[in-house]
Amino acid sequence: MERQLVNVQTFTVFAQDPSVKIAGRPVMATLSVPAEHISNGPTGYRVKVVDFDATSGKFYPPINYVMDSTGKVVDPFTTPRGDATSAKWKKYFETIIGSPAFHAQNVYAISMRTLARFEYALGRRISWGFNGHQLHIAPHAFSQANAFYSRADRALLFGYFRPRPGSKPVFACLSHDVVAHETTHAVLDGLRQRFMEPSGPDQAGFHEGFADIVALLSVFALEETIAALLSDGRKLKENATLKQKDVTWDALSESTLLRLAEQMGNALSDGRMRALRNSVLIKPSKSLLQQDAYLEAHSRGEILVAAFMRSFLSIWVKRIEQLSVQEGNLRSLDLVVEQGARVAEHLLTMAIRALDYSPPVDISFADYLAALLTADTELVPDDSRFEYRKTLVEVFRSFGIEPPAGKTTSNGVWNYFEAQTTHARNHYESMLHDPEEVFRFIWENRKTFELDDRGYTEVESVRASRRVGPDGFILRETIVEYIQIASVWSGELKTRFDIDVPKEIPNTAKVRMFGGGTLVFDEYGKVKFHIAKPLGDVPRQSEKVQHLAKTGFYSNPTEELEPFAALHRARMGG
Amino acid sequence: MAEKPTKATIFTYQVGFGDCFLLRFDYASKQRHVLIDFGTTKLPEGASKNHMIDVANDIGEKCGGRLDAVVATHRHADHISGFATNAAGNASGDIIRGLKPKLVVQPWTENPKLATDSTGPAATRSPALRGYLQSLGFMHSIASELTQMLDSPSAKTFTPALREQLGFLGEDNLSNASAVKNLMTMAKNKYVFHGSPSGLDALLPGVKVSVLGPPTLKQTDTISAQRSKDKDEFWNLARLCLAQDAGLSAGVDDLFPHSPGIPGRKAPLDARWLAERLKNMRTEQMLQLVRILDKQMNNTSIILLIEAGSKKLLFPGDAQLENWQYTLNQPKWLKALIDVDVYKVGHHGSTNATPKSLWNNFENRGKPSKKDRLQTVMSTLPGKHGSEDRGTEVPRIPLVKALKSQSTLYATTDLGVNDRYTQLDLKFVETTRTARFPKK
Repeated sequence: MERQLVNVQTFTVFAQDPSVKIAGRPVMATLSVPAEHISNGPTGYRVKVVDFDATSGKFYPPINYVMDSTGKVVDPFTTPRGDATSAKWKKYFETIIGSPAFHAQNVYAISMRTLARFEYALGRRISWGFNGHQLHIAPHAFSQANAFYSRADRALLFGYFRPRPGSKPVFACLSHDVVAHETTHAVLDGLRQRFMEPSGPDQAGFHEGFADIVALLSVFALEETIAALLSDGRKLKENATLKQKDVTWDALSESTLLRLAEQMGNALSDGRMRALRNSVLIKPSKSLLQQDAYLEAHSRGEILVAAFMRSFLSIWVKRIEQLSVQEGNLRSLDLVVEQGARVAEHLLTMAIRALDYSPPVDISFADYLAALLTADTELVPDDSRFEYRKTLVEVFRSFGIEPPAGKTTSNGVWNYFEAQTTHARNHYESMLHDPEEVFRFIWENRKTFELDDRGYTEVESVRASRRVGPDGFILRETIVEYIQIASVWSGELKTRFDIDVPKEIPNTAKVRMFGGGTLVFDEYGKVKFHIAKPLGDVPRQSEKVQHLAKTGFYSNPTEELEPFAALHRARMGG
Repeated sequence: MAEKPTKATIFTYQVGFGDCFLLRFDYASKQRHVLIDFGTTKLPEGASKNHMIDVANDIGEKCGGRLDAVVATHRHADHISGFATNAAGNASGDIIRGLKPKLVVQPWTENPKLATDSTGPAATRSPALRGYLQSLGFMHSIASELTQMLDSPSAKTFTPALREQLGFLGEDNLSNASAVKNLMTMAKNKYVFHGSPSGLDALLPGVKVSVLGPPTLKQTDTISAQRSKDKDEFWNLARLCLAQDAGLSAGVDDLFPHSPGIPGRKAPLDARWLAERLKNMRTEQMLQLVRILDKQMNNTSIILLIEAGSKKLLFPGDAQLENWQYTLNQPKWLKALIDVDVYKVGHHGSTNATPKSLWNNFENRGKPSKKDRLQTVMSTLPGKHGSEDRGTEVPRIPLVKALKSQSTLYATTDLGVNDRYTQLDLKFVETTRTARFPKK
């Protein structure tokens, strides 16, 4: 019989991690990922699992899948039937935790799922931040309480450790949120490679915060997780219901966000646990971002996470309010769970789509808010039903984050680009994909785009984006990133850029200044948005130099070769 | 009128990569001697195997058989290895012990009581303190695991340069049990921190000794917004991982008893690119961990400001920026440090131990013609530590250049193979400079 091609295949993974036990056992989930002819590893068209352990020098043989008659991969780790406390389940967990092959499947499926989420939201294939198509994943790279993305090694590296001598090992690769977090770093690096450059406090905080948001929303987008959390481990009756007092903002924050945070006993999820807990416990305040305690990348990222998770709860509550009420003011648990997962999904899609409307360098939280609002307005002009955008604006404002003044409309959306550009020397078709063609366009229009003569200009990417809106129509856009770079000696900062030289900076330090912009072309090839970060923006550049000087960037010879290694080591996989 | 010294002499001994300073204070009718550090991790080329014993004997001769005090700035081998004893009782540490010092001064972190009843000067019984002390303790086990690992077959893949760096850091941090014990028992002990009495004033009449470092954890907290429990947990995990690392390399730990795996050299061809990179990364990471812990140990260094007669002498051990910060953030101390006459170059001339705000603050810096020009003493051995490419070589070339052009430098690198020490004589003039000294 001829094989049928299937679009998706499913794999069993941990919904959270082995330490998060609900109803006496860890929660498993079945993830759908794009179907493909998997090779040993698993090795697929986007990721390649290589199970080499540098500490022991051992290599664990790759998993070799078989396919069923329909061309679908057979998952060898499907969950057993029966009571979760039964001997069968006990044996099942022993098997999967002791099997490097399951670990390989866990990282493969979660990373592919994360990538697929991005591709779904952006409507195109996404490149990694390095030359090459397959991201390596080493599920047991070394014995260290760490996990990180390494651009130089084209890899996600997951460590393992024993919390106490002789105790069972903890594996970073089995934490759903850790894998999703690290994959997000890699995807984000592919979409905005300059976000890894040293910048102001927001940019480093953004990389961490965004990766946490994707990791946490991915977890909440699984109905299994929300259901398990809401039922607090009790066995669910059919047609279970929730009382009104159980579905208020406070009650849901307690029963989902805080409960999940409590469960994250794994030191490798420590950062996310804190972020989740703090998103409920940090009292929103407009002065938080100005405080020294929130200058460090993770703490700062937590504010972004808090803004997202609080918005998630508010919108969820709004959607629950619109559900039909059963007798006794009760609501169907199934529907409450489904609404929660939908909100998480939608916010996740918004969070990802916003990247296309973000500047290519020096992103601030304010920029990201404008990007979120623009991305969603473009596709869903009517916000009146569940008020996603209104809620986001309110919650972000409570943390002192407002869309950039002067660059956005009263709705917080980026100003439309009104100036006239010339296309006289360009070819339309090439403008859709060819960086050379687009560069010529930018160069010919450099006065209009207010390019700075002091910088070297380069088009970093030209990407097509297709999305289907709720009205069924397709929104086609071309997203272009260009950057400008200038290198100056610190001694020249005043004369060249009118920036006061911070006292912490050595005279001979080389300072790299970045500028650039994101151009969004509509389907007719007209520039819709120019989201610019001018090279000569003195207040921004000055703030950045002051911040980097204060945090020792210019004075300490850097010994750290992997930027995320140090950041995550200090936070243990944060 | 109280007794005052009339002059002082600093003997900077040639110990290769290490520190050993003998301070002599001359009074009208007596001399007093303080030994600051006595250790090495690498003797200079051509040194005899009895070098440290010869130095110890020379110290004995200089002080007429009686030392008044010993200061061990911190626990690194290049500062205390000379205090090690042996069963025969004829090691360099035995000789120093025989000089019957009246006092041994060490940083508060060395107080053996801290570990058991936590009566430290910092936040008593706090998890932060526990974590910190543990981390210092871990350094020894990490160092020992590291040196063991360097001898194991798994270290074959390391580049010679990495091996050397790891080996050096490892050896410097190895627990020197006999030296530590000797320091603990050879005399009365005084454990000091920023602002605490040094215990030296009573032994050195007319000399004022201020302890500027190390700060206690509580003091550090006031300047560091970043200090958090994360770090303490991090030490714990880092240590465990390295221990496991060493264990795994030796094949004693089985991560997956039912899936033993195959030797990396037999890995499929398509896995080898990443495997190779991971091996290199692991070494780098280990080096970074060890560097972090090494720095932490350096930052337990005692910083002493000695005011004798008309001179101010500054001895900061290996203190790095984090240790210095507490002092440098206080205007009264910055002011007190302006007119330092003799500066012992921190951490053998490394890039991170002479903070700019300290160096630029010395007003006696200047051309050779400058009156009362700053004098500096430095004990070091080039080519042992760091790399020029990364700007981490010790001694750091730009720093040495600045020391030579703006101060009169007495460095052990200028000594010949047979020279034992460089001598700096300080004559006191009858002016007191206490006006510049802050009131306590």
